[in-house]
Amino acid sequence: MWTTVLVSGITLGSFYTLVALGFALIFGVTHTFNLAHGELLVLAGYVAYWLWKTYGISLLFTFPAAILATLVVCLILQRLFSRLREPMEMNSIVLSFGLAILLQNGMLFFFSGDYRLIRVPTFNQGLHFNTLYLSYGQLTLLALSLLVIGLLYLLMRHTFLGKALRATIQDREAAALAGINVGGMGVLAFAIGAILIGLAGPLYGCVHYLYPTAGLQATLLAITITIFAGVGRIRTLILGGWILGFAESCAVVLLGTSWRELVGAVMLITLLALRPQGIFEREQ
Amino acid sequence: MRKKETTSQKAIPQQVAWAAPVLGLVLLLLLPVFARYNDYVLQVFTHALLLATLALAWNILGVSGSISLGHAAFFGAGAYTSALLSLDLGVSPWATIPLGGVLAAGIAAIMGLFCLRLRGAYFALATLAFVEIPKVITDNWDGLTRGSLGLVGLPGLPSLRLGSYHFDMSGSLVGSYYFVLGYGLVLLVLVTILFRSNLGLALQALREEEVAAEAIGIQVQKYRLLSLLLSAFFTGITGACYGHLIRYLEPGLVYGLHFSAIPMIFAICGGRFTILGPALAALVLYPVDQFIFHPLLPAGHEFLYGAVIILAILFMPSGVWGQLRKGHFVSIKTGSIE
Repeated sequence: MWTTVLVSGITLGSFYTLVALGFALIFGVTHTFNLAHGELLVLAGYVAYWLWKTYGISLLFTFPAAILATLVVCLILQRLFSRLREPMEMNSIVLSFGLAILLQNGMLFFFSGDYRLIRVPTFNQGLHFNTLYLSYGQLTLLALSLLVIGLLYLLMRHTFLGKALRATIQDREAAALAGINVGGMGVLAFAIGAILIGLAGPLYGCVHYLYPTAGLQATLLAITITIFAGVGRIRTLILGGWILGFAESCAVVLLGTSWRELVGAVMLITLLALRPQGIFEREQ
Repeated sequence: MRKKETTSQKAIPQQVAWAAPVLGLVLLLLLPVFARYNDYVLQVFTHALLLATLALAWNILGVSGSISLGHAAFFGAGAYTSALLSLDLGVSPWATIPLGGVLAAGIAAIMGLFCLRLRGAYFALATLAFVEIPKVITDNWDGLTRGSLGLVGLPGLPSLRLGSYHFDMSGSLVGSYYFVLGYGLVLLVLVTILFRSNLGLALQALREEEVAAEAIGIQVQKYRLLSLLLSAFFTGITGACYGHLIRYLEPGLVYGLHFSAIPMIFAICGGRFTILGPALAALVLYPVDQFIFHPLLPAGHEFLYGAVIILAILFMPSGVWGQLRKGHFVSIKTGSIE
């Protein structure tokens, strides 16, 4: 049984990392919190659902439309954030919270409050390895999550653009002195963040029910993983995602599904109370 | 480049600042006379007043510069405590409503233990996550709270008898209306006293410059905890009243994001550093939402709250009333939020 828990924890955790990546990148580069993160994810899910349901488009081809939707909203959000006064972190929370309410009500208007799920028939079949069972859905989720995380890792570590982004994350002023366009990096972070959310959204719609207020859970888990990792560390983000995924799987097995929501919240509060600068970050 | 702040807007004269709320109060007192034949108007304003008390209670913490996104935890705890005590033990709501406030303050003490060391954005994030704890516990403790089924048939507020006069608070809409109005006025007076007391002054001082406040001997953590406890206590009482007024509770309803978001939105739009601002915003925005946007847009009318908070934080961070009363309440440091 514990191998099943471990495997489902890692699958879930990898997907959580994918969900958190956009949030972490935007936070790292621009020092703003995007509380509408979960709502954007659900929006991307809804776009995919709508294309799949009304036009019968297969899941794979819904990604561009989902990315386009999140890209538009994220760039608007970036414009709004750039007009904010100090303190940026606090004001960005209030502003993006307002955006979250706007998006929730917009989605309620366009998609109604009904629970929606993108059903891919093959996702329910699966493979047996001795006692371990893996559904194709889990495998797809795991493979796609790791693929996207890997691509982002390559972008950040092995390209000039990634180097500039990382420099901005580490020290904004030094990066600006070195001739990096810090404002431009902010826009770029929002754009890459939007693409990541647009990729995660349709997948989210396959494994979780979509409803207008579903975003809060995703926002909380993105915050949890980001705070766990500190800023700008993809490897620590994955570790955080896996720990959260594993803890949730354990909670489901030991206590029942209804306690799952508590895991992320308790983990976040404990982290904030003990080490708000991240697990591996040294005290300044 | 940001334009320099111009002092084009002048504060309203002191007389107007007094006359406007007094006029508003007279209108509120007479509202049942105007709206005698319209139950809907009375219901909307009763709820608006209740939300005003929620915003006033939120602002006891808000004035210290902290933003809480987790007041639904106190609202729900107060509502559930009062409901269960009156439903299962048959205690009169007059006794259980304050107990709801006490339990909410107890939960705030636990929250304070974990969250009060945090500042600014991190405090807000921690409170956002904190709501999940009482919510999930209430949802799962079927034996005590009936879980996600919720509670139905809550006792209403008992009627008061003054001599031969019979004041029915739950049977008649007018009675409920005056009850909430009375509670709102009491809370307003308490908040006014509080803001002008040493506690209130200390909170405003630590909001402006925490290190300086500590240097002149203000025990920052003690005052922050006190403001959190008081804020939670009154939020709990409001939650308990809400339960006895609508006589139906459900974890998703009272612990929902709605009751965390609403007081923050009203407080910031009205003016976080003012006494009246949050209550005024509730009394204007909620009726606008219900009378104008709800009929136009039954699904999604609450986008209004998202829109006003975005506009407020971008263009008027000190809130509408804060802007009008410039110089009296607005932050001396920056003239903006925090």
